[in-house]
Amino acid sequence: MPEPTTYHRCGAILSENMEKTVDSYRFISGITRRMLRTWVGMEHPRPIPWTPLRKPLKDCRVALLSSAGIALKTDKPFDQDGERRNPWWGDPSYRILPKSATSANVNLYHLHIDPRPAQQDLNCLFPLARLLELEQMGEIGAATERHYSIMGYILKPEQLLQETVPAIIRDLRADQADVVVLVPA
Amino acid sequence: MPEVALAVSTPRIAAIEYPLGRTLGQPGDAAGQLAVLRAILTALESIQTPGGIVHLPFEWPDLLGDKFGEPPSPPPIVGYILRHPWQVTRLLNRDVPE
Repeated sequence: MPEPTTYHRCGAILSENMEKTVDSYRFISGITRRMLRTWVGMEHPRPIPWTPLRKPLKDCRVALLSSAGIALKTDKPFDQDGERRNPWWGDPSYRILPKSATSANVNLYHLHIDPRPAQQDLNCLFPLARLLELEQMGEIGAATERHYSIMGYILKPEQLLQETVPAIIRDLRADQADVVVLVPA
Repeated sequence: MPEVALAVSTPRIAAIEYPLGRTLGQPGDAAGQLAVLRAILTALESIQTPGGIVHLPFEWPDLLGDKFGEPPSPPPIVGYILRHPWQVTRLLNRDVPE
């Protein structure tokens, strides 16, 4: 039985070096590092979509979108058995999360990350409570009522891009979201 | 992973050197998570050109026993490649079987 990992409460530490350049692969190792580096090299430049920010942040409605495979315990889980049967496949669907979601009422379904920290405190990868604090402090207009999660291990993204992403965009428009923070997991 | 985000033409990038599974900070560290979220939203306001990137100046502490986000057991594809090592070329080429 391996020792349980303890996640220390340590606070964010600001770098001495304010010109810090983030190392994309510092915490990625083995086959995943090799795979990501190779895939980055396979991408070709393409137009970058751009929507200007049309109002101050203090007036914006902000939504979160996570790739951590988060679902309410009362909702359908992401299909992990399907991935276990066919490791080339990942569930390309999405789940809606209310702004009241916490680690107590969600599960994480993602076989490529350690779900335990977020099971203790969802905010370490899906900062809903922090977003509500920014709303209370008047730094954003509001957190939207609904937030979203996909499960990020998708080697063939066709269904994700053709079905899931347009559906999330429809929902975000209905939510009148001005800003979406995509949080990779 | 800003290199990945840049490669897929993400409009605005707030890069952070934190492990997967804890991209906003440690569980229970509300002040640290808030600082990171605030820095992300500040980057949203400051980036004025498509593909603009801000490298957030946060440092992840080296803690004893921290596995940096590795899952409790290896993902299915890793086990599959170990059993079928010749298939690694397909994975690297993103040649996914139907």
